[in-house]
Amino acid sequence: MNRIVVIIALSCIVLIPDNVLGQQQAIEAGNKTTTWLILQAIPSFSWTTFPSQTNFTFEWEATPVLYSFGMTKLVSPWHSFFVEPPARFTGSIELNVSGQVYTSSIGTTHLAYSGQLLGHIPLAERGEHFGINIGVAAYRLNNDTRIFAVGGLWTLFGFLHGNVKYAPDGDTWMTSLELRFF
Amino acid sequence: MKRRIIFAHSLLVAAVFFLGCSGASFIPKFLSRTVEHMSEPRQSVPNKITSPILANVGLSVLWIGHATALIQIGDRVFLTDPMFTNTAGMVSGRVIEPGVDPASISRVDYTLISHTHFDHFSYGSLDQLPKNGALLLPLGALPYTPEFGFRETREMKPWEVLEEGNVKITAVPVKHFSGRYGFDIPWMTDRGYTGYVIEYRGKTVFVSGDTGYDQDIFKEIGRRFTIDVAFLPIAPIEPREFMQRVHTDPKEALQIFEDLGARLMIPIHHRTFYQGLEPRITYAQELLEQLVAERGLQQKVYIVKIGEQRIFE
Repeated sequence: MNRIVVIIALSCIVLIPDNVLGQQQAIEAGNKTTTWLILQAIPSFSWTTFPSQTNFTFEWEATPVLYSFGMTKLVSPWHSFFVEPPARFTGSIELNVSGQVYTSSIGTTHLAYSGQLLGHIPLAERGEHFGINIGVAAYRLNNDTRIFAVGGLWTLFGFLHGNVKYAPDGDTWMTSLELRFF
Repeated sequence: MKRRIIFAHSLLVAAVFFLGCSGASFIPKFLSRTVEHMSEPRQSVPNKITSPILANVGLSVLWIGHATALIQIGDRVFLTDPMFTNTAGMVSGRVIEPGVDPASISRVDYTLISHTHFDHFSYGSLDQLPKNGALLLPLGALPYTPEFGFRETREMKPWEVLEEGNVKITAVPVKHFSGRYGFDIPWMTDRGYTGYVIEYRGKTVFVSGDTGYDQDIFKEIGRRFTIDVAFLPIAPIEPREFMQRVHTDPKEALQIFEDLGARLMIPIHHRTFYQGLEPRITYAQELLEQLVAERGLQQKVYIVKIGEQRIFE
């Protein structure tokens, strides 16, 4: 949980305006920061199936780096934290970090965190209607790091992702319904 | 642990509250109506024109549906807010098919996007068009713009002028709002929407995109330009207390027409999608027809059919 707080705090530093911005820009940046914080606070949901138990999980994600290859060349392909939906769904690669809260304990803790490298491939309407995710994820679970293969689909402007993750080492499955706004 | 979960839930409630406070309480009714109409068969357009681009014309206009108009002045072809897909934003279904097959549009010199909403900036529709020309966008639209491969992609701020040869296109202010996904509205209130005035070979055409009524804006446009044809939206109308800020009804569209001092008006943005809570899809057109008859404007307001091409000279 502490790491989630650190991520949010760092993103505030990135997003909050400084005094070189004009008033209008400051209002705009303030609106963006507020919206970002509120929407990032909405959790995604996962079911994690270990060989011995199945856990329900709340998950919060953020994107420190995303490279978009589907957008007009007039905008930068690099995005950090504040990732507008088209930058992701028109085709992109992202480094994503997340924190999880397990509703029942895994070993001695309820908490876990992860880093994921994900590719997003648009399939319909430049990805605004439909696309697929592929990638790898490293989860730190109960003092043990497990590497997962990730595959899934998204729809609804890239807001709703359904992903399946599998770690052969430890025979662990995750099925997640992820809400991604930025 | 319990406190942390309560904190997370509080944030979730705050988010739902934030989203619900957009002032758009008609949205559930609108969605319910959209679902009702999903199963209706799409109306067809009889005798579609298969060669809409003409060899020799002074000014021709073809309403393709919604805010999409193919305008030809001399040898130059302009297309406004191309919308050819079956849905706008995955939700709202087309009531009637496009008046022209996009494959029959062999070239477009300027594609004009008025704002970033789904029914005006349709990625699937732009993908179906030839890319020989320029794609013009309102200021602030680039973060919503995939790479389509047009000859040029360009944002225009209010009163900015694009001049290429003898073609002159001016972005003009209108009264609307932008964003695309709802949560982006707060930082898109002052950008992301525009109207355009096209001038070429002595003809001047105004396309407003979506707009509410603002006397100062339209009188100023009328003062700066001598407009031959004005494309003006007449729907959605209801609920009026919400729509009036951003969408003109037929009466307000006629007021804009008068403020502009334009020679002719062609109503658009009706008859294609259910976007308001009007009793029927033809409601806005019926109101306009009644007003036009009452005011004797039949020679000035051309209520064209979807797929109908009018050649003025």
